[in-house]
Amino acid sequence: MWNKILIGIFIISMVETGLHVEAQYEDKRCKCICPSLSSVLNNTKETERMMVIENVPRLKCDCENVIMPRIADKIKGKEREFCPRCQCKFENRNTSIIKFVVILVIWVISLLVVYMLFLICLDPLLNKRVKANYQEHTNEEDDVTLSGVAGPSVHPMGARSNVLNRVGHQQDKWKRQVREQRKNIYDRHTMLN
Amino acid sequence: MRHRYIVKKIQYSVWDFIKGAHDAWSGWVCVLLVGVVTGCVAGVMDIGASWMTDLKLGICPQAFWLNREQCCWSSNETTFDSGNCSQWYTWPEIMGHSREGGFAYFVSFFFYTLWALFFAALSASLVKMFAPYACGSGIPEIKTILSGFIIRGYLGKWTLIVKSVGLMLSVSAGLCLGKEGPMVHIASCIGNIFSYLFPKYGKNEAKKREILSAAAAAGVSVAFGAPIGGVLFSLEEVSYYFPLKTLWRSFFCALIAAFVIRSINPFGNEHSVLFYVKYNEPWILFDLVPALALGILGGAIGTVFIKGNLYWCRFRKFSKLGHYPVTEVLTVTLITAVISYPNPYTRLNMSQLIYLLFSQCGISNSDDLCDYNRNFTNVNSAVEIAAAGPGVYRAIWLLILAFIVYLILTIFTFGMKVPCGLFIPSLCLGAIMGRIVGIGMEQLAYNYPEVWIFADECSKGGNCINPGLYAMIGACAVLGGVTRMTISLIVIMFELTGGVRYIVLLMAAAMTSKWVGDALGRQGIYDAHIALNGYPFLGKEEFAHTTLAADVMQPKRNETLSVITQDSMTIDDIVNLLKETEHNGYPVVVSKESQYLVGFVLRRDLNLAIENAKRMIDGISVMSVVYFTSATPAQSLGPPPLMLKKILDMAPITVTDQTPMETVVDMFRKLGLRQTLVTHNGRLLGVITKKDVLRHIKQMDNEDPNTVLFN
Repeated sequence: MWNKILIGIFIISMVETGLHVEAQYEDKRCKCICPSLSSVLNNTKETERMMVIENVPRLKCDCENVIMPRIADKIKGKEREFCPRCQCKFENRNTSIIKFVVILVIWVISLLVVYMLFLICLDPLLNKRVKANYQEHTNEEDDVTLSGVAGPSVHPMGARSNVLNRVGHQQDKWKRQVREQRKNIYDRHTMLN
Repeated sequence: MRHRYIVKKIQYSVWDFIKGAHDAWSGWVCVLLVGVVTGCVAGVMDIGASWMTDLKLGICPQAFWLNREQCCWSSNETTFDSGNCSQWYTWPEIMGHSREGGFAYFVSFFFYTLWALFFAALSASLVKMFAPYACGSGIPEIKTILSGFIIRGYLGKWTLIVKSVGLMLSVSAGLCLGKEGPMVHIASCIGNIFSYLFPKYGKNEAKKREILSAAAAAGVSVAFGAPIGGVLFSLEEVSYYFPLKTLWRSFFCALIAAFVIRSINPFGNEHSVLFYVKYNEPWILFDLVPALALGILGGAIGTVFIKGNLYWCRFRKFSKLGHYPVTEVLTVTLITAVISYPNPYTRLNMSQLIYLLFSQCGISNSDDLCDYNRNFTNVNSAVEIAAAGPGVYRAIWLLILAFIVYLILTIFTFGMKVPCGLFIPSLCLGAIMGRIVGIGMEQLAYNYPEVWIFADECSKGGNCINPGLYAMIGACAVLGGVTRMTISLIVIMFELTGGVRYIVLLMAAAMTSKWVGDALGRQGIYDAHIALNGYPFLGKEEFAHTTLAADVMQPKRNETLSVITQDSMTIDDIVNLLKETEHNGYPVVVSKESQYLVGFVLRRDLNLAIENAKRMIDGISVMSVVYFTSATPAQSLGPPPLMLKKILDMAPITVTDQTPMETVVDMFRKLGLRQTLVTHNGRLLGVITKKDVLRHIKQMDNEDPNTVLFN
């Protein structure tokens, strides 16, 4: 149930952000870089390299279609010398995938951070009542998980439902595993169990 | 055996036929799913990491999900800038100041450090809180797992999530680490999780290793965009057994993963190669000499790195530093951020720096490194050789500084308690070294064109020395020196760069680097970490001593061998035996006097069987006799007997006491044994376990035999 709510919130936020942003970031471009005009002309004042970005189809992404229309009046007859030195590249990207992925990453990290804060701050308080009724497996040195026989014995608790019991039991088992891993890595400095 | 059963039943009915077909192609389906998911995860991580890296520099307010390069993608400003454009706001701008100036520099320095610390702290605490197994590179442990050892929880789903997120955060924090080693771990986690969907692989550890090998190949394939290199890496470095079937599966898995990541297109450049370079000039014969020199240097640097890193990791393991992992991560990040911000080359992302060093100077490079006195007068020729301007010398000094800084920082960074890898830092160090050598050679060729080595091919106006190519060779050499890979390294290098012409030079450099590295220090970085952590990994080096099996076996002179008899021990006896000794398994003999071998039984199976019996069989008591034979005993007074023939392995591998240890080690390696029984004249004499073999090897090599840990 929690999963469905989270997915719902996620989809709604995606749609909202999609509506706000205008489509000013296209997905295709033709990027041409040319040396400065002073390399072919003697009396021009420009000394900077030229970079032009335009949205043209892939086959038209070359010097004649992109650069020439801009500087046709300046170059006047020396096009054949200038064009070979320009480098034109056609590039393609997908902004919607990038948007989706970044929002997904932000969500996942925030969820993990929230869960971590929950475990640090609130969990000891909540579980003080519950822990008293669970027997914990203290046999952490044992490599063997006896599947048939394992598990702390669950006392029948009249008020709580079985689902909550199972979730709590799973969480405890996971916490036990993490504690054991942590003991391995940080205390004994080994990955072996 | 399950497979044979299913295949036999194919003829019986249509349902069984479908089950047979499902069993046959379940391997391919599993590997397909693993490849697809690995490609997706890698694409997500690439995009996420490149976004977060640029977050340290500024933000794009209109579309916050774009990094700097993507934000300035369609900007129509026709002048060059250092990558900034009007839509990209640096942090000083957001705070209200202008973009330039001394105050802006300090503000951006401050924010850079702050974001780096934030990412690193988040990464370290996530690892500590949720999945401590997600720290480190993962390749040494995967090697151990694939050699037969089981580490529970190492390839679980929490490890997967935390490792992916932690890797993104660590890379974005600007630390000196790469993401290739952890990608292998992530891919193996995915392989492990998916193998549980298919009972053919989920329940059989040996078959699951096929999937894990294939997944490791997919991991390298997506990390570098090098599918064939990935398969060879899995073959050479990671896997222990690699039959042809695994080769096919890995090939397929790497192919699918590369295809998926290519369609996600995280870098926006339509190439699945990371550092795509296109050199048009062939290399001159004399280039071989600097290539060999770079190989020697690469091997030396690799050894220095390995020794330094091992020393620091050992220090971290045995001193109080190991108790403060998060603090250590934060300190290293602070030092890294403070040192790397001022130098423009270290401020760049490591991959971007490598790309810059690999690329040829041309019209589109405005960096100091390409500040040559070129006039571009002759339109029809290629970029010609020219004298270096002052910018080049400035760049060389900065690069030398960057090299020293990176070498020292990577020694301290690799092995920290965050996900970290070391392919990219090694490539970076090598690229810096190679580029400097290349610029030196180029200037030599420009100033002395009449010397015989340059005379033929370097006629005036031509361009025969390409510093970018030397950077590539240097990168290959240092990576080879650190990891001691050979074929997989060459294939990865030419798949990374697209430079197939230069294979001979790369091979020469890699070979020299491996020879020099092996002469200076025997182990590559991964084997050294395996030895440091005491994993029970049986290496592939030859065993060159002449000891016999009798010298190594347990029990030693003054101990007795713990055996179980086949029909005269009670449950009480067995439970006492299990409590008093801590062996992993026990041989079963006909009787204590004859010591004729029947079979071998594992501790785990004994425990399980006894527990089950206590619950299931009525009337069982601690005085019940345990039978490992198939014949039911006639007597019916007293408690009912416990028949445990099912758990007995009746075909244990045995050797005689005079077998040379060379053969025994070979058998352990090739058959993947955990123990073998030693007999003399047909009677059981003792047991040799893998731990004993490892201890013996270490003793023979005069190393400390007590460092071998085992569960």
